[in-house]
Amino acid sequence: MTLDQDLVRHLSEVSVSVELQTPEMTLNIGPQHPSTHGVLRLVARVDGERAYDVRPVIGYMHRGYEKLAEVRNYPQITTIVNRIDWVAGYANEIPFITAAEKLMELEVPPRALWIRLILTEMARMASHLIFMASYPLELGAQTPLFFALRERERVLDLLEGVTGGRFHPNFNRIGGVKPAYGSGSKTRKLVQDLPKTFYEETRRAMDEVLHACDQLEDLVAGNEIILARTKGIGVLPPEVAVAYGVTGPNLRASGVPFDLRKVENYLPYDQFDFQVITTQNGDCWDRWWCRLQEIRESAKIVQQAIDSIPSGPIQAKVPKVIKVPKGETYVRAENPKGEMGYYLVSEGGQGPYRLKIRSASFSNISVLPWILEGVLVPDIIAIMGSLDFVLGDVDR
Amino acid sequence: MSTRTFPGLGLWKGMWVTLSTMFKTIFMPGKHLKTVMYPDVKETPVPRARGVIALDQEACTVCMLCARNCPDWCIYIEGHKVEVPPDKPGGRVKIRNTLDRFDIDYALCMYCGICVEVCPFDALFWSPEYEYSEYEMGKLMHDKERLSEWLATVPEQPEIAQ
Repeated sequence: MTLDQDLVRHLSEVSVSVELQTPEMTLNIGPQHPSTHGVLRLVARVDGERAYDVRPVIGYMHRGYEKLAEVRNYPQITTIVNRIDWVAGYANEIPFITAAEKLMELEVPPRALWIRLILTEMARMASHLIFMASYPLELGAQTPLFFALRERERVLDLLEGVTGGRFHPNFNRIGGVKPAYGSGSKTRKLVQDLPKTFYEETRRAMDEVLHACDQLEDLVAGNEIILARTKGIGVLPPEVAVAYGVTGPNLRASGVPFDLRKVENYLPYDQFDFQVITTQNGDCWDRWWCRLQEIRESAKIVQQAIDSIPSGPIQAKVPKVIKVPKGETYVRAENPKGEMGYYLVSEGGQGPYRLKIRSASFSNISVLPWILEGVLVPDIIAIMGSLDFVLGDVDR
Repeated sequence: MSTRTFPGLGLWKGMWVTLSTMFKTIFMPGKHLKTVMYPDVKETPVPRARGVIALDQEACTVCMLCARNCPDWCIYIEGHKVEVPPDKPGGRVKIRNTLDRFDIDYALCMYCGICVEVCPFDALFWSPEYEYSEYEMGKLMHDKERLSEWLATVPEQPEIAQ
């Protein structure tokens, strides 16, 4: 006996609408739900299996860094901005330091810029590898977590070997990178350049990371369950993404080739050959794919930078007490999550008068009410995870 | 972009990755096993790791630079002046600062390293030791004796690239 498919679907819909009258209810997800990457609370109006009017409630992790920055001097603020997006702490320092240097009109030595670039790309890899670990986990696949975190450990070991910190490197100083172990007579000689074994270890680690990207692709890309849960889910059209200020891989997955590494000149990215990865569909799967390709591009940039790193000083001549002249500037940079910018207003003192922080995740999750309108409840997690935000970056 | 090929092929590819990794870690653990059985086996941290701050009491001159530059003001220093008798008769009486109290509150410390960096007399060093967690928060306040004990664990710095 063959069943008429149209008839079966029709009957089931009738039975749902007649027998299971579902009242609307308000569903709170979070603020301490394991899949919300922190203390994000979502308030959704749920009608059966569909969610409407999803409203993200933020502010549970507000630490007031903009205010804290006003009562600290410039070297101290570097430690604070590390903690905004803790998954890629190093990438947060770059736009802030560049903003202060821009006001001081400092010329940074090329070797320092190269070191900054290498470590920023490593931070990008670390951040995207966390996404590679957590996103399949949110969809129910545990195995990719171990592969991704193993590679992340490799990258973080390199970062730690240079800066001394895994999450909060605090390595940039105004005018270059960390100049010395200490300023005393004995330790002044221990100028902290890259360790001697760094180049070789990095070359090896980048090969391993590229190999692991292939492994991750084999693990996830062919999996029918993950494909069914991500393809065509949470489609973000380019005009909506631009209207909400979505940046980073989320925007590029929607087909907009906007990458600040190509647009701005805060680091010498124009010396390197890399692609801006874009995909056309803008669904969850494309966002995953975009990030995987970006890890590969970052590894290629690091490989090129290791080969072409110039020698020379790593610190420009700066006065011991750093005072930034009066003025204001906005510097933006490509964080792993998107555009990160600092609007720095200086009155000529040792600390900023005002520091406005534009973080990527805040704008990226502001698209949640639009993108989660009318989706199935299980898809909330899939879509939210694919936007890859960090609550420290949202609330600051 | 991955294109759909033979149905189920992607699944087998994924299975093959896990299976080959499993055999690699079983038969070549030295090369492929990355996990460490922590309390029994320990990894050596890198020499630059910022684990704990060691204090050289003899070198400290109570200049308060570290306490003033600390971003969250977790260093507490007290000192007093001592008159040192002159080396030879008829010389001047020297006045030396001596350290009474040097406490670092590790419950507050952000491990930024600014204090080590600004110390002009080589009194503070980073040590990669990390096993000093406590059951009570108050015990994380390390006094100058405890900080001096870390001095023996300060490693040699690695050779640099240029």
